[in-house]
Amino acid sequence: MAFYFGLLQTIGIHTLLGLSAYVLLLTGQLSLAQVGFFAIGAYVSGILTVIFEYHIVPGLFAGALAGGAFAFLVGFPALRVKGLMLVVATIAFSEIVRLFFFNLNWRVMVNGVEVGPDSTQGFREIRFYAANGWDTFDVVLFIWLFVIVVMAMLWWLDRVRAGATLRAVGADELAAQSSGVNIVAVKVTAMTVGGVIAGLAGGLYAHSATYVDHLTFSVLLATFAVAYPILGGLSSVFGTLIAVIFVQGILIEGMRFLGDWRNILFGLLIIVAMNFRPSGLLDGNVLSRIRRMIGHGKPDGGGRHA
Amino acid sequence: MVDFIQTTIDGLSIGSAYSLIALGFTLVFGVMRRINLSYGPSIMLGAFAGTWIFVTLDAQPWLVAAVTVAGTVAVGVYVERVCFWAIRRDAAIASMVSSFVIWMQLEEVATILLPGRTYPFPELFRTGGVEIGPYFFRMEYVTTLTVAILVLVMLRLLLFKTRFGLALRAVSENPAAAAYMGIRPGRVIFRAFVLASLIGGIAGYLLLAADQQVTPYFGLWATFKGLIAMMLGGMGSIPGAVVGGLILGVIESQTQWYLGNAYKDLSSYLVLFMVLVLRPGGLLGQGIAEREAQAFRRI
Repeated sequence: MAFYFGLLQTIGIHTLLGLSAYVLLLTGQLSLAQVGFFAIGAYVSGILTVIFEYHIVPGLFAGALAGGAFAFLVGFPALRVKGLMLVVATIAFSEIVRLFFFNLNWRVMVNGVEVGPDSTQGFREIRFYAANGWDTFDVVLFIWLFVIVVMAMLWWLDRVRAGATLRAVGADELAAQSSGVNIVAVKVTAMTVGGVIAGLAGGLYAHSATYVDHLTFSVLLATFAVAYPILGGLSSVFGTLIAVIFVQGILIEGMRFLGDWRNILFGLLIIVAMNFRPSGLLDGNVLSRIRRMIGHGKPDGGGRHA
Repeated sequence: MVDFIQTTIDGLSIGSAYSLIALGFTLVFGVMRRINLSYGPSIMLGAFAGTWIFVTLDAQPWLVAAVTVAGTVAVGVYVERVCFWAIRRDAAIASMVSSFVIWMQLEEVATILLPGRTYPFPELFRTGGVEIGPYFFRMEYVTTLTVAILVLVMLRLLLFKTRFGLALRAVSENPAAAAYMGIRPGRVIFRAFVLASLIGGIAGYLLLAADQQVTPYFGLWATFKGLIAMMLGGMGSIPGAVVGGLILGVIESQTQWYLGNAYKDLSSYLVLFMVLVLRPGGLLGQGIAEREAQAFRRI
C-alpha cells in the first residue's frame, strides 16, 4: 500500500509542476524555468520548516510566494524573447538557480542537531511530516488537497474572461494586441502564476522526499514539466493530469519489470504518442466527445483548440 | 598580466572545441530551424564506442578517433531519422521533445554498453607542450586549436565552393524556394545532419582526449556548451558559432582562474541569460528580427 501512496504523491506533485508549465503554454510560452521556481520553493519552504521550525502551511506559502516573486522578476526580461530563445534563456535561469543551491551552505544547530543545506551534500532531514506524526496517507491527502484547489482554480480560469485573454495571446499575439490586450501584463501574470504553482509543488516535494539536492532540479525535470501539458493537450487542465498518470503511473512504474530497457522503450512510446496525437492525448475532439457523453455537449462540438 | 594572457590562451583552445560543437548546432538549426538536443548525447555515444574498442581491444589512438567520429555519425543518422525525418512539417516542439527523449535512450544505451561510470580516453600525442617566452602551450590544446582551424577552413570551402554548399545555403535561406529550384530539402537536411555529426565527433574526440576520460554526463555537458556558444554568437550564423565558442571558452577559464571552479558554469549561464535578453539574436546574429520571426513561426 505504501508503494501506491508514494506513487500518488509523485503524481500529485508532478501534476502541479505540469500545471505551472500549462499556464504559460496557454499564452504560447515554452518555459523551462519552472524547475527553477520548483527548486526555490523547495529550498525556501524546507529552510523555514527545518531551520526556523515553522509549521508546514506557512512554509509552503512562503515557498510559493518566493517562486512567484522570482517568476515575476524573471518574467520581464525573459519574455522579451520568444520561442527557442525563451527556451534557452529559461534553461539558463534554471541552471543559475541550480548552481546557486549547489553552492549554498547554511548549516545551523537546531535542538542539538546540525541541519540546513550543505552545498554539494544536499539538504537532508526535511522531516516535518515524520516529526509531527503524519503518516503517508495524511501526506497524500495534504498534497491532493493542493492539487484539487489548483486544478479547480485553473478550470474556473478557463470559464472567465482572464482565461480567454490567456488563450488569445497564445493563439495570435498580434491579433490579441490589436484587440487591446496588454501582452506584457498577460505574459508576466501567467509567468507569476506559474511560478507560484511551481514553488508550491517544490515545497510539497521537499517535504515528501525529505531530501533535496541540486541534481533533482535538472533540465530533465524541466522538460518533464513542459512535456506533461504538451503530451496531455492544452484543451483542458485534465490533459496534464492524464499525461502525468500515463507517464508516471504506466510508463515509469508499470514498466519497471523491464529494468534497464525501460528508458529506451519509454522514449519511443512518447515519440509514438506525439506522432499520433500531435495536439495531445486529450485534444478538443476527445473533450467534446466526452462532454456529449455526459450530456453537456453543445451541438457544434464546443471543442476549443489550443 | 602573464596570468591573464595565459588563461586567455587556454580559454581560446578549449573555446575552439566549443566552437566546433556550436557549428554542429548551427548547421542543423540553419537548415531546419530546429534544435537537436540529442546532439551532445550522440557525440557521447560515439565516444563510448571509441573507448569501448580502446578498453577491450587496446586500439591505437587514431583508430579510437576514427571510431568515435564514425559512431557519432551513425547515432546522428538514427536521431535524424527518428526525431526529424519522421516528424517533419510544423511540429517543431514535438521534434524537440522527441530529441530529448532520444537523449535519455542514448544515455541508457551507453550505461548498458559500459556499466562503469568513468572510462579512460587516449590522447593523440604523449603529454608535453611548447614553451614560448613565459607562456606554456599544452600539447593537446595545440592539437585542438590546429584541428579546429583546419575543420573551419574545410567547412568554409565546402559551403562556398561546392554544389552541396550552395544547396545547403539555399535551403537554409528559404526551403520552399530551394525546392522549386530542384533541390531536395530532405536530402540536404540529411547531409547537413551527417556533416554536423562529423564535426561533432571530431570536437568530442578533441575535448575528451584533453580530459583523458569519458562519462555518460558528457552528452549533457556537450549539448549545453554547444547551445550556449551558438546562442552567444547568434543562431544559424557560422561566424557567430565560432566567436561564441571562443568567448565562452575565455569567460570560463578567466572566472575559473580568478573566482574559482564553483563560479565557472554560473558565470557562463549568467552571460548567456544577459545576452539573450539584451540582444536576442546573439552577438553576431544577422537579420535578427527576420530570423527570430521565422523561428517563432516554426516553433
